[in-house]
Amino acid sequence: MVPLVSMKGITKVYADGTVALRGVTFELAEGEVHALLGENGAGKTTLMRILYGELRPTAGEIFVRGQSVAFRSPQEAMRRGIAMVHQNFSLVPSFTVADNLYLAVTSVKPMRRGEVEGRARELGARLGIEVPLEARVEQLSAGMKQRAEILKSLLLDAKIIILDEPTSLLTPLEARALLGLIKELKAQQVSFVYVTHKLREVKEVADRVTVLRKGANVGTFQVSEVSEAEMAKLMVGAEVERVRRSRSGAPGEVLLEVEDLAARDDMGVERLKGVTLSVRRGEVVGIAGVQGSGQKELAEILAGLRRPERGKVRLGGVDVTGRSPREMRRAGVLYSPESREEGLALEMSLVENSVLARQGEHASGVTMNWKSAEERARQIVERFRVVFTDLWERARNLSGGNQQRLMVGRELESEGLLLIAHEPTQGLDVVSAEKVRGEILRFRERGAVLLISSDLDEVLELSDRIVVLFEGRVVGELKGGESDLERLAKLMGGAL
Amino acid sequence: MSGEALRALSETALALAAAVFVTSLLLLLLGYDPVSSLAVMFTYGLGNVEYVAAVAAPLVLSALAFLIPLRAGLFNIGGEGQAYLGALSFLYFSQQFGALGLLAGGLMGALLGGTLGALRAFLGVNEVIASIMTNWTLYYVTLFLVSRHLTHPEFPHRSIDVGFFLGSWTSFLLALALALLALVLLYNTLLGYEIRVLGSSRRAAAYAGIDVRRVTVLSMSIGGLFGGTAGALKVMYVGHLDTTMSALFGVGFLGIGVALIGKSHPIGAVLSAAFLASMIIGGHWVELRLGTPPELTDVIVGVMVLVLSAPYALKLLQRGGRLG
Ligand SMILES: Nc1ncnc2c1ncn2[C@@H]1O[C@H](COP(=O)(O)OP(=O)(O)O)[C@@H](O)[C@H]1O
Ligand SMILES: [Mg+2]
Repeated sequence: MVPLVSMKGITKVYADGTVALRGVTFELAEGEVHALLGENGAGKTTLMRILYGELRPTAGEIFVRGQSVAFRSPQEAMRRGIAMVHQNFSLVPSFTVADNLYLAVTSVKPMRRGEVEGRARELGARLGIEVPLEARVEQLSAGMKQRAEILKSLLLDAKIIILDEPTSLLTPLEARALLGLIKELKAQQVSFVYVTHKLREVKEVADRVTVLRKGANVGTFQVSEVSEAEMAKLMVGAEVERVRRSRSGAPGEVLLEVEDLAARDDMGVERLKGVTLSVRRGEVVGIAGVQGSGQKELAEILAGLRRPERGKVRLGGVDVTGRSPREMRRAGVLYSPESREEGLALEMSLVENSVLARQGEHASGVTMNWKSAEERARQIVERFRVVFTDLWERARNLSGGNQQRLMVGRELESEGLLLIAHEPTQGLDVVSAEKVRGEILRFRERGAVLLISSDLDEVLELSDRIVVLFEGRVVGELKGGESDLERLAKLMGGAL
Repeated sequence: MSGEALRALSETALALAAAVFVTSLLLLLLGYDPVSSLAVMFTYGLGNVEYVAAVAAPLVLSALAFLIPLRAGLFNIGGEGQAYLGALSFLYFSQQFGALGLLAGGLMGALLGGTLGALRAFLGVNEVIASIMTNWTLYYVTLFLVSRHLTHPEFPHRSIDVGFFLGSWTSFLLALALALLALVLLYNTLLGYEIRVLGSSRRAAAYAGIDVRRVTVLSMSIGGLFGGTAGALKVMYVGHLDTTMSALFGVGFLGIGVALIGKSHPIGAVLSAAFLASMIIGGHWVELRLGTPPELTDVIVGVMVLVLSAPYALKLLQRGGRLG
């Protein structure tokens, strides 16, 4: 049988000389979910952007249903039934969902607005894709945005949907719902390319898997015939060492005390409604909660980036409530934020980013000391294996995983007492994630860690204690390690 | 040469070809011979290098006036008004204090820039709108002063003569030195680092503990310092102001184009200022040789600026104004 899509010998050299793909062959069969697995920078996104007509291959051929194609734009790919949902979505934030659907559909074929909305409603109802058509996109959760994107693809009669790291921004519950939807659509003869670096998801959703490593296809398998360990080994070209957490000894004195903290987010919504917690020296305290439970505001207050409306923060017994970011850092707080757009100046170089937030320490008088900054950058990229071409290249040119390693690495390389790590392993491949987790555990010897993560396995594995937030309040506290996922998930949902 | 520099160069070459094409079309449409016009424009302009240096010097500075705030993510459209104020201050203070008049021009520009910066930082007043309003206010203030208070005793349509003069080369070297200073400021000082972080992302600046208000006020003040000096140099070269404002009008605006063509880099600004200066001078020769009206020269220079700065300006817009 002719495969639905067949990509042969695809090579891609970017304008800056980066060789992203080296003769990759990839096939998608009718009605299958095909996982594209690989570390950060393996070339997954590049390969799929080529299929979607966003990039042109340097060499190689593409066939759709046996016909040779050379798309010059995504519109052309869409006319052939190919749609792609990007990692960061491509909806207009200030438009409503209906506006976005109309915009997308009419860029491919003319259709009246009423008809677009009618069909969206009908499709949504039939497939159980709940998206409020009249809501503005910027007000939607990540899960909703994704459903809107998928609905958009279906309205375009897509028979092939490419999902690029679809769960990276979703909460665990939303991720579960997505996998359900994929199975539903598969039954309707939609084929998927599921791009991911998460082994578990491959096992859960895919029929076949193609593993990319450093721009080359290192194998395509039936998922049922290959183990997670084998896939991990292929993906990184080596055995993965799992972090073995050593139980910490008896925790020391109280380092951080948060008392009755209340705060609003930028939109004025009350997010923290009186949170009290403490962290002792030598502890990793995990904060778990569905997105928007107040964890972000908590982290920002501790980093000096948000003023609480009420409550106290004490660090080592000293009241530090309402201090500036600079003062908090001087008091010993290290902060690796959830967003790389915040924790990095992406238009600036690796060197310049290596001293971000401690630029004063690398200046003598009014002039910057670039030698010492370079030294520091070198330490970070070596210890955290950041892949780069030049220390003075823009951080934006790095892949997401490398940006993450640079940002987390910078914080872990610094002197400090309390590390606030918000989604520290987001976008990292298995090996790097384990490396960062190991470093977080090691940080306990220097002070304490507040770990905020939506990866519940990670929270359970690393934390000595887990504080669960729900709608701005602490709804429970669990012991790390021995607690089970089930109980944690229930608490996160607000069930006591 | 690095790949990036090579790319920038070939991009500029392409833009130049496009600019020549568009202006040729324009000349053809208006019934002039594009080949001889452009031949005169490109060659005669370079005939007198000293003249080029004199015209380029204020342009380098008015480009810096736009460029420094731009690196902090701010649009200082107020270079024009800062140049008027700098020119007036120089005219007035040079009578008694000679060379110090230049400093007075720069400082008054800095004061104006700093005020616009403070309005933005503390009251949230958009710097573009405030700049446009002060530009026009100062335009009429200058006209008023030239015709009422600083008026020449014999020629009522123009101002008294400046009290200090520097030669073309000295002016250009001064501008070059200030451009190098701007380069050092941006890339080798703590303040420059903070300016660039702010220009890269406001969130990252807050994260880094940078005092956003302080950097906003300082970068606008420094921009104003350059803008004021640009105006001072310009009036110094011409020797006086007159009620047509022809000596001064547009110095600040042209600086925006110069900065963009120079890809918001101080050295790029020096090169593009020299190039545009030679175009302006070449344009005057076209008027003399082929009898084209002076407005046509302005149009051609304008089209050149637009086409040459377009690739970079568009890239900047795409990135939402973010620079490193
Ligand atoms: N626009 C680009 N220009 C230059 N290099 C790029 C660009 N996009 C990606 N790359 C590089 O190509 C390689 C593959 O990237 P990508 O396809 O994004 O990997 P993945 O999606 O598997 O993480 C990386 O080394 C990355 O840095
Ligand atoms: Mg990717």
